[in-house]
Amino acid sequence: MVSVEQRVAEFDRVYSRFRDDSLVARIAREAGSFEFPPDAGPLFALYRELYEATDGAVTPLVGSALETLGYDRAYSLRPSGPARAVPPWDEAFGWDEPRLTVLRPTVVDVGAAGKGYLVDLVAALLRARGVDELVVDASGDLVHVGEGSLRVGLEHPLDSTKAIGVYELRNRALCASAVNRRAWGNDLHHVIDVATGLPTRNVVATWAIADTALLADGLATALFFAGEDQLARFDFQFARMFSNGRVEHSARFDGELFL
Amino acid sequence: MTTLQKKHALAAFAAISLATTLAGCAADGTDTSTGSSDNGSSDTVTGPYQDGTFEATADYQSPNGTETIDVTLTLEGDVVTDVVVEGVSVNPSPEVERYQGEFEDGIAAEVVGKKLDELSVDRVGGSSLTSGGFNEAVEQIKIKAQPA
Repeated sequence: MVSVEQRVAEFDRVYSRFRDDSLVARIAREAGSFEFPPDAGPLFALYRELYEATDGAVTPLVGSALETLGYDRAYSLRPSGPARAVPPWDEAFGWDEPRLTVLRPTVVDVGAAGKGYLVDLVAALLRARGVDELVVDASGDLVHVGEGSLRVGLEHPLDSTKAIGVYELRNRALCASAVNRRAWGNDLHHVIDVATGLPTRNVVATWAIADTALLADGLATALFFAGEDQLARFDFQFARMFSNGRVEHSARFDGELFL
Repeated sequence: MTTLQKKHALAAFAAISLATTLAGCAADGTDTSTGSSDNGSSDTVTGPYQDGTFEATADYQSPNGTETIDVTLTLEGDVVTDVVVEGVSVNPSPEVERYQGEFEDGIAAEVVGKKLDELSVDRVGGSSLTSGGFNEAVEQIKIKAQPA
C-alpha cells in the first residue's frame, strides 16, 4: 500500500525541475519521446484547456523563461540572459498520452497546477483508505472533505499578518497564488507573461475555488492573465486583487471580502 | 468554526516528514535547498516522543530572501494530530514595495486588510511557503519533544 509520503516522492521524481534525477530534468537535457505515468493525463489535459482559454498565457513551457530569470534549480536568482518569449505549445512539444515528444531539450514546468493536482492525489489516497473527513493543505492550496466547513483567511499579499477576506470552504478546493513570496532582484517574480518572458505587472494575488485542487490551482494562475469571460467554460468561484488594491470576485462567492 | 475530531486524519504536507521519521524511515520529501542533492534533514533524532504541543521557528532562504516560519505540532502517541504553520514575515521585494507605495499614496486602496489574529480562521490561503524552513522547524520540534 502506497503511503502519502511515497506518493508525494513519486510525484516529485517525475515532475520536479529542481532535481537532476526527475523525468522533467531528463527532458530538459535531451530531445526525444518520453513516457509519463498515468497521472499525467488529467494534468496535461487541464494545461491544454487553460492554454487555449488564456490564449497561451498558461503553459507548461514557461520553465525556461523562469530559469533564464534566475528561478532555477540552484535558486541562483540571477538572470542568465535576455528575457525571451515562450514558444507556442504545438511548436515545442507533442502530447499524445502518455507520451510527450520534444524536438529539442525542453523545460517542462507544471508549477501552475501541479501542486493542486498533488493535493487531489493525496486526498484520493486517504479517501481510498476510508478517511472521510480530511483537509489536505499544501501551504495555501487546500482541499476540504467532510462535514462542516473550513474558514480560510485570504492572505493579504502585501502583509502576511492580515487577510483581505475569509472564505467558507466546504467539500471543495481553494488555491491561492500571489507575487509576494517568489520575488527577487530587480522587480522579478515568478508569474511570467509569456509574450515577453517577464513577470506580470497588474494582478498581485488570486484565489480560486473549484471541485478539484487541480482546477483551482490552474485557475489561480490563469486569473493573472484572464478574467471571468475568458474562463467561462470552467465552474469555479474566485477573487483577485490588483496592484491598486482593487478586488474583483465572482458573482457567487461563498465568503466575505473586506472592502 | 468546524472542530476536526481527533479520529479524522489531518493531513498536511507539513506533517509528512515527521510522520515518516517517527516510523523510522528516512524522510525524502521535496528538496528545495540550494544546489545540494541530498535531503536536508538528518535522522539523528528519533522517537518515541512526548505527547504535547511543540513550537519552533526557523529561517530559510527562499527566492524572496529570508523567510521565517513558525510551526506548531501536536503529538499524541507519536502521531501528529494537529499542525499550524505560519509565515512570520515576508521581506518585501522592490516590486512589492512599489505596490505598497501605491497603497500609501491612496490610489484606490479598496481592500482593507484585517489582522489574522483578530479573525477566526482555520487555515490561510496565500502564496506557498517553501518546505525548507518547515523541515528545519520540525527538526527542532523533534528535539524538544524528546522524553525528559
